[in-house]
Amino acid sequence: MKSKFLEIKELNKKFGPINALKNVSLNISKGEVICIIGPSGCGKSTLLRAINWLTPPDSGMVKLEGKIIGSENGKLSIEQSKLLNDFRARMGMVFQQFNVWPHLNVLENVIKAQIVVAKRSREVAEPKAIKILSDVGLKDKIDEWPDNLSGGQKQRLAIARSLAMDPVLMLLDEPTSALDPELVGEVLSVLRNLVNEGMTMLIVTHELGFASKFGDRIVFMDGGEIIEEGAPNIILKSPKTDRLKLFLEKLDITSLKEKH
Amino acid sequence: MKFDISYTFDAIPRLLEGAFITMQVAILGFTLSVLLATIITIARTSLRSKILNFIIAFYISFIRGTPILVQIFLIYYVLPVFGLNLGPFTAGILAITLNSAAFVTEILRGGLASVPVGQFEAAKSLGISGFALWRKIILPQTFITSIPPLVNEFTMVLKATALLSLITVVELMRVSQQIYSANYHPVEVLSGTFIIYFLMCFVVSRSSAFLEKRLKVKRA
Repeated sequence: MKSKFLEIKELNKKFGPINALKNVSLNISKGEVICIIGPSGCGKSTLLRAINWLTPPDSGMVKLEGKIIGSENGKLSIEQSKLLNDFRARMGMVFQQFNVWPHLNVLENVIKAQIVVAKRSREVAEPKAIKILSDVGLKDKIDEWPDNLSGGQKQRLAIARSLAMDPVLMLLDEPTSALDPELVGEVLSVLRNLVNEGMTMLIVTHELGFASKFGDRIVFMDGGEIIEEGAPNIILKSPKTDRLKLFLEKLDITSLKEKH
Repeated sequence: MKFDISYTFDAIPRLLEGAFITMQVAILGFTLSVLLATIITIARTSLRSKILNFIIAFYISFIRGTPILVQIFLIYYVLPVFGLNLGPFTAGILAITLNSAAFVTEILRGGLASVPVGQFEAAKSLGISGFALWRKIILPQTFITSIPPLVNEFTMVLKATALLSLITVVELMRVSQQIYSANYHPVEVLSGTFIIYFLMCFVVSRSSAFLEKRLKVKRA
């Protein structure tokens, strides 16, 4: 059995009467790429946001590299609250809406957290930022303002901003859903490079093509629960549950409609 | 009585001295009010305390619902009752600050509302929290969008300082009164005062356009 790198244990979250997460548990080993799929409102984004406590779960815990955040009643101890910033910085998060900072230029977007959180000097942070921005293909944009970037460039900037903190895990919440179709490719290719470098990733996505090619495991969620999980070719080709069958059929119909 | 412009020219050196005090009072009062309003804005957003929010709403509605002249007199006369003898200058600044802070708080509320929740989330996900989150990420964006109404509020403050002449702060208006009560030429003197006030406000509101343009150029 592979060692448990990230352990998610019995996460629960309610929004009013709606169960966004129902006893969700998941173990992820280092270097694994997990794609989370499911209909909208199924809790997949909530799961991602609960893992780094952006949406604090009502109960449950997350264990990353042996460090535990969370408890049975959802309250964090004082030590855990102090750890929270470091804990979050260990996990890069990429949002559907990019959320790059418009008042800082491209380079400063990637430098800011390095200085404020990781307490690096500018002399260390700046070359690192330039290196990462080159890796995502934004070297010639370092003096630009985010408002002048295309969606795909903004998302690559957001990925670079996360990578600058040397995360051991990336959480990606529908990273390509807000992009024009022709811009999806450039973001996926950056993600592909991350997969090849062995980054552990949790991706909420509708890109089944990407999921089946690069995902080690696909997790299907519905109604706040994990319904099925397994290797992509098994999950996508021979779904066991009706819910997953229905979901895949719907996706197929939409993609057919798009083609005609 | 005919208009003799030489009285205006003779008054100008002293009027400018008064204008200098007016500027000082306005800048000091407004700076303090922005500081106070910023603290109020951060406190009410991050603490989410019902009692605090009630107190703030109470304060804002009282400031907005009463004449500033009454507020100035009240602070000037009420503080000595509690043993605080501040003098007209300090009392005046305090009154201006407390008055303007209510309006600036409302301005910043609007500016803050224009910052998407995702900006907070992105910062938190990178481990930026607490005061750094405000100072590095949220406040700069809040202030950039608030520049036009803030500059407008500053011109309001600048003009409101004329009321401080009534509690004997020797600013532009008070100086004018002193001059024309000695030479009996109020029209000539006040014409000079009028133009100086206008020029100060004009420069300030032009600076708004300049600041906005500069920040937009920086970002676009």
